[in-house]
Amino acid sequence: MDFTLDSHQEAVLEAVGTLLSRHSGPARLHDLGGDEPGYDHDLDKRLAEAGFLDVAEPLSTCRLDAALVLEALSGSLASSAAGWRLLVLPTLDVDVEGPVAVVTESHSGPARFAADADALVVIGDDRVRLVRPDRPIPRVRSRLGWPVGEVTGLSEGGALDGAPAAAVRSWARVAVATEMVGAMQFALDITVRHVSDRRQFDRAIGSFQAVQHGLAECSVAVDGARWLALEAAFTGSASTAAAALTQASEASKLIFRRTHQYHGAMGFTREYDLHLATLRLLALRSEAESFGRPAAACAHEHWGI
Amino acid sequence: MEFDWTEEDLSYRSELQDFLAEELPGRWEGATAVLGSADNAEYSRRFAGLLAEKGWLTPHWPTEWGGTAATPWMLAVLGEELWSRGEPRGPQYMNVNWIGPSIMAHGTPEQCQRYLPPIAAGDVIWCQGFSEPEAGTDLASLRTRAVLDGDDYVVNGSKIWTSYGDIADHCYLLVRTDAQAERHRGISVLLMAMDSPGLVVRPIPGMVGEHSFTELFLTDVRVPVANRLGPENEGWSVVREALSFERVGAPRWARAAYVLDETVRGALEQGRSIDPVAVEAVGVAKTACEAARMLCYRVIDERARDLPPSPHANVARVAMVQAERLVADACAALEGNEIMRYGSDSDLQMRKSLAAGVAAGTYEVQLNLVSRRHLRLPKN
Repeated sequence: MDFTLDSHQEAVLEAVGTLLSRHSGPARLHDLGGDEPGYDHDLDKRLAEAGFLDVAEPLSTCRLDAALVLEALSGSLASSAAGWRLLVLPTLDVDVEGPVAVVTESHSGPARFAADADALVVIGDDRVRLVRPDRPIPRVRSRLGWPVGEVTGLSEGGALDGAPAAAVRSWARVAVATEMVGAMQFALDITVRHVSDRRQFDRAIGSFQAVQHGLAECSVAVDGARWLALEAAFTGSASTAAAALTQASEASKLIFRRTHQYHGAMGFTREYDLHLATLRLLALRSEAESFGRPAAACAHEHWGI
Repeated sequence: MEFDWTEEDLSYRSELQDFLAEELPGRWEGATAVLGSADNAEYSRRFAGLLAEKGWLTPHWPTEWGGTAATPWMLAVLGEELWSRGEPRGPQYMNVNWIGPSIMAHGTPEQCQRYLPPIAAGDVIWCQGFSEPEAGTDLASLRTRAVLDGDDYVVNGSKIWTSYGDIADHCYLLVRTDAQAERHRGISVLLMAMDSPGLVVRPIPGMVGEHSFTELFLTDVRVPVANRLGPENEGWSVVREALSFERVGAPRWARAAYVLDETVRGALEQGRSIDPVAVEAVGVAKTACEAARMLCYRVIDERARDLPPSPHANVARVAMVQAERLVADACAALEGNEIMRYGSDSDLQMRKSLAAGVAAGTYEVQLNLVSRRHLRLPKN
């Protein structure tokens, strides 16, 4: 057990951090369209060139470094499907150049990145398919901070022999949990800054115990989600993956309500950055649900119920 | 960063598990007693003796006092395995985790010689004389007076919510030795024999299982000056340090996870159907235990590195309380009307979860500490 970064992880995160500080972040997301952004192909290109999208060893079950990179990406509000590439594709022996989307076989409706994806990873009950769309997938107007496409009538074919559906679904859970952690930490940090600066009744509103307790619980919830997601990425355990996603989903409900509440009206202006992170959480939570109710998956993984 | 156990820790855990499977009858906790009850405390004398023979009662103590200088991770494994079997050490987990270490850190050679060997042998029960009727969460407002008279302190006052007061041999007692000083400065720690004349112990029936608290009334109780732990009037820093040992010494998440596991298995064995609402509650509760586990591990990692106590311990405490409560909700959802049966899992867990957010520092105080020290939110 070691809860601190080793020198390699430190170096990777420092380099990723430098790249993200220049080419990602809320200002970049505003440029891409804010809560209705386009896909950041430029960022993907830079990440790929620097080798950050290949930090997970193919087929290895230890993807901790990849999860750390993804957490940083998500915390910078990147408009990128790099999470799928970092944590899901290494389980599949496939070669895809551009962005991918991940959906389940029964999916019908909006899906993150579908309109921009070169390929869709389609998770079934006991098989996984890689579907390369034969015609463009239409965009959906969505204002939850992600580029979204409309997935209907998935074409047949593309079955990947021997690809473990359960493992792919599990890694999808780790990816979504990790992305939620990055976005939640962004929302929490910006809120802590706000309540520390904003004064009413001659005192910082963050000095009121009602606000302090609310944010302390948020922080405990996010920390729990973070360490479970990292542990799941390290061990590759399906039960820890389900727990990580459950914790992240539950935490995201607290974060959504409380960070907005403590911002007052400022929290629902488009000029301010908070909504860029919080709205994303709604999309991520719906995606989490599409892989099966997280808490039910957790109960299933532990007791077979 | 990595989350593997060492081979050494793994084999220690499996050795412990084998021992516990042999020594503890299945579900002994539910059959006999709950933590805090007199039955449990008596049981602990036998059980702690067995642990002591194995060198597992005080493995983290220095070899000088019968320990094996085990690492914080081994101690964590020990705590986890014992708490997940209902903590058969009973009150003695306090002795070994913080009363003993506190005596080691601040005791005179005579005090160490007198008090540590019985703790290491598992043969003694201590209680803690902290709370008073007017000093609960605000512990530093305590008023029990100790006045010097020759070689003794003469102690007058009362203590409340003292677990094991009726069966303990000694009390780790907080008293005020300087009434004029700023309130944190006039406090001292006395190691008081529970058979001291002038001490009256009154039980207060509790609703947390068979547990009962006691109230201690002290009237001109004489405690030798030689029994003062640490310097006079500096008891506050002595006890604060002692309690920092306590925070992660009690991995309540492990006990909660055990109760949840037993309740789910019980339902499955009896062929009861588990509806989707209960499945959801069970998954959320299991997750809360897992999150608390990782947040405790983060603290143990800091301890293993010899870092000073950090607010991560408060974060872990908050998560453990939440886990206890969510497990209570899940047990109730699983068992339905079984909660009406006294001693059912849902009944017992409901009771224990009530104490979780109060005992050893309230949930709200932990949130205060998380917001000020971890999030660095401003004070008024």
